[in-house]
Amino acid sequence: MVLTDIKAGGKAKIINTEHVNVLVRRRLLDLGIMEGTEISIKRILPFGGPFAVEADGQWVGIRRSEAKLIQVCHS
Amino acid sequence: MIEIALAGNPNTGKTSLFNILTNSYEYVGNWSGVTVEKKVGMLNNKKGHLIDLPGIYSLNPLSKDEGVATRFLIEENFSMVLNIVDASQLERNLYLTIQLLEYGKPVVIGLNMVDVAKGRGIMVNEKKLSEKLQSPVLPIVARTGSGCKELAGLLTNEKQENKPLYISYGQYLDQAMESLVAKMPEAENLPPKRWLALQFFEGNEVVHSLLKTLMPVEELQRIFAETEKLVQMEEGAKSLSYHIRAVRAEYIKGVLDVSLQKGDEVAYTLTDRIDNIVTNKFLGIPIFILFMYLIFKLTFDWIGSPISDLLDGFLTGPLSDGLTSMLQAAGASAFIKAVILDGIVAGVGGVLVFVPQIMILFFLISFIEDSGYMARIAMVMDKTLESIGLNGKAFIPMIIGFGCNVPGIMAARTIEQPKERLLTIILTPLMSCSARLSVYSLFVGAFFTQNQALVVLSLYLLGIVIALTLAKIFSSTILKEEGSMFVIELPPYRIPQWRTLMRNTWEKGKGFIKKAGTFIFGGSVIIWFLSYSGPAGMGVDMNKSFLALIGGAIAPLFEPIGFGSWQAGAALITGFLAKEVVVSTMNIIYVAPDLHTLQGVMAHHFTSLSAYSFMAFLLLYVPCLATVAVIKKETGSAKWTWFSIIYALLIAYIVSLIIYQGGKLLGF
Ligand SMILES: Nc1nc2c(ncn2[C@@H]2O[C@H](COP(=O)(O)OP(=O)(O)OP(=O)(O)O)[C@@H](O)[C@H]2O)c(=O)[nH]1
Ligand SMILES: [Mg+2]
Repeated sequence: MVLTDIKAGGKAKIINTEHVNVLVRRRLLDLGIMEGTEISIKRILPFGGPFAVEADGQWVGIRRSEAKLIQVCHS
Repeated sequence: MIEIALAGNPNTGKTSLFNILTNSYEYVGNWSGVTVEKKVGMLNNKKGHLIDLPGIYSLNPLSKDEGVATRFLIEENFSMVLNIVDASQLERNLYLTIQLLEYGKPVVIGLNMVDVAKGRGIMVNEKKLSEKLQSPVLPIVARTGSGCKELAGLLTNEKQENKPLYISYGQYLDQAMESLVAKMPEAENLPPKRWLALQFFEGNEVVHSLLKTLMPVEELQRIFAETEKLVQMEEGAKSLSYHIRAVRAEYIKGVLDVSLQKGDEVAYTLTDRIDNIVTNKFLGIPIFILFMYLIFKLTFDWIGSPISDLLDGFLTGPLSDGLTSMLQAAGASAFIKAVILDGIVAGVGGVLVFVPQIMILFFLISFIEDSGYMARIAMVMDKTLESIGLNGKAFIPMIIGFGCNVPGIMAARTIEQPKERLLTIILTPLMSCSARLSVYSLFVGAFFTQNQALVVLSLYLLGIVIALTLAKIFSSTILKEEGSMFVIELPPYRIPQWRTLMRNTWEKGKGFIKKAGTFIFGGSVIIWFLSYSGPAGMGVDMNKSFLALIGGAIAPLFEPIGFGSWQAGAALITGFLAKEVVVSTMNIIYVAPDLHTLQGVMAHHFTSLSAYSFMAFLLLYVPCLATVAVIKKETGSAKWTWFSIIYALLIAYIVSLIIYQGGKLLGF
């Protein structure tokens, strides 16, 4: 399952970010988002727009194409 | 004198604290990446300098602003670090703190945003935290100044060296670090060697290049590869950097276990609710445009224009009358009187009249900056910008560019991708800045009295649309993509504080007024002199002046776009200095005693259509001198600087041609 399979308002736990672009992964790591992090989807922008996710009180906007590469499981 | 570096994660309140401790007015805003260059300030007690740096998450930089901060910390001399951490995001913030502690300089920790943490049910025990980290920790609220005095008291140079924090990274990596340290030659002013070795293994680019100057590259590469393999095998880590991160995470967990208490989770209800609206499925972009429209309504119709009128009344009435009688009484010659009244008062006063409108614009931009909306609009725009080869973050420099293009271009430093950054730099000058606003004010007051705000909004949108179109063209031709990236931190909304708003507005407005006192003052004298003298001597008919000659030489070029008079030509040439000089020039050459007469005179020289074409041309043609200088500095390339001048001229001409000829065809 990947992050884009989760609906707005849903929660999930990240299990793999290996396929994500290196720079994006580095930034997500900086923001405390990595394997094992629990995140919830706050908003999904229309027309293939970005996802706003929240992890430990920190909100982050990422592209849908990147969210598709983040593997998650139900938490 | 002690030198104290102010370091911490982005958007944690470093600059807010800097302003309090040094009594400065640096730029504060609620998004990550407000500060993009280092700023030095004198502590209030005059005992030392505080150096405000761009925010960083670690000492390994990804973007240019982060590079400024890490390079300072690694390469420059300072006696102490003041580390600001966000109490509501302690875990993430401590990654940097640990690296600073490992560095070995004395560290004082300012635990900021304790109010936000409390609101979210997070309690930090600063005593325990201080014990664990072996450094002083003080809770503060940089927004209100609470605790900041006590913090200032800790900034003394009693302790010059600190024992670096020692964390074991496991037997294998520890050994590898030791042997690398043993191989490093002695050199002056080097950071602690174990720290260098650790950062090297973590993949820090700045440290890499530093070590390359000390040791053979092949050896470094070999050591790195060997160690990585060993750690992967023995510790089961994915890579060295992952391993290092995991060890730190463990350490931080140990620290937080004793010092942090989380209460029940409280959702950001306010932020949630506002976000429901401003990042709404369909309303996101329309809401942004509506905001802009409201901004111009406030600037023109509701508040700005009435105040400008009052100011105009004062400048052209009591002030010039007073000056005239003073000059009379002092027995000034006709020449001096003409320089002062027809040159300086007309030129400088003509621009000053618009200060109230510009201040209101700055105030509203400051409001957007400090509210937290900035990051949202970047997110809302990302999809659109991605399709033209940019990313959502590029919109932040553009919005700042509405105030003034120079800080806008500087703000592009936070864009990670070099090509996206370059593209943003060369397109930000198309954002209509406040200086151009003064020219629009003059023209819409004369030609579009009914729809002032709407006409100005259309010009701003024109600038955006042209910038986006060009982005598409450039990114698919000369600046082919290297893979775009977009990750943005969305801070919680905050109600902007009056103090911050007023300071930010004043800081921006001050620049405009200063320009009026220097640049525009000088420019007005020169322009007046050129209009007063000619081949035939002094005091000539203005149509036979040097100014008319110069303006007349290029005027035929502008005939097809609607304004082939020498006056328009002369105004546009002087507009390269600073766009508001166009207003000064018009005031001088149309010799009008006040704003309304000037607008009346202009009605003889322009039609509504040619006035609109003129405004569009002024919006797009060459960036002003200060902007050109900053483009040169930020791109470091003469080629791109020339490029941004030349493409702007071309595009301005084409757009104005379409507006004017198209408008004529349509019967305007
Ligand atoms: N509630 C609250 N807000 C704060 C506090 N300190 C700063 N802020 C707000 O946080 C935002 C960021 O402040 P800045 O001082 O610009 O942060 P910075 O660390 O310099 O940010 P960068 O330059 O982007 O790294 C502003 O909106 C401040 O008003 C605090 O203690 N409490
Ligand atoms: Mg700052």
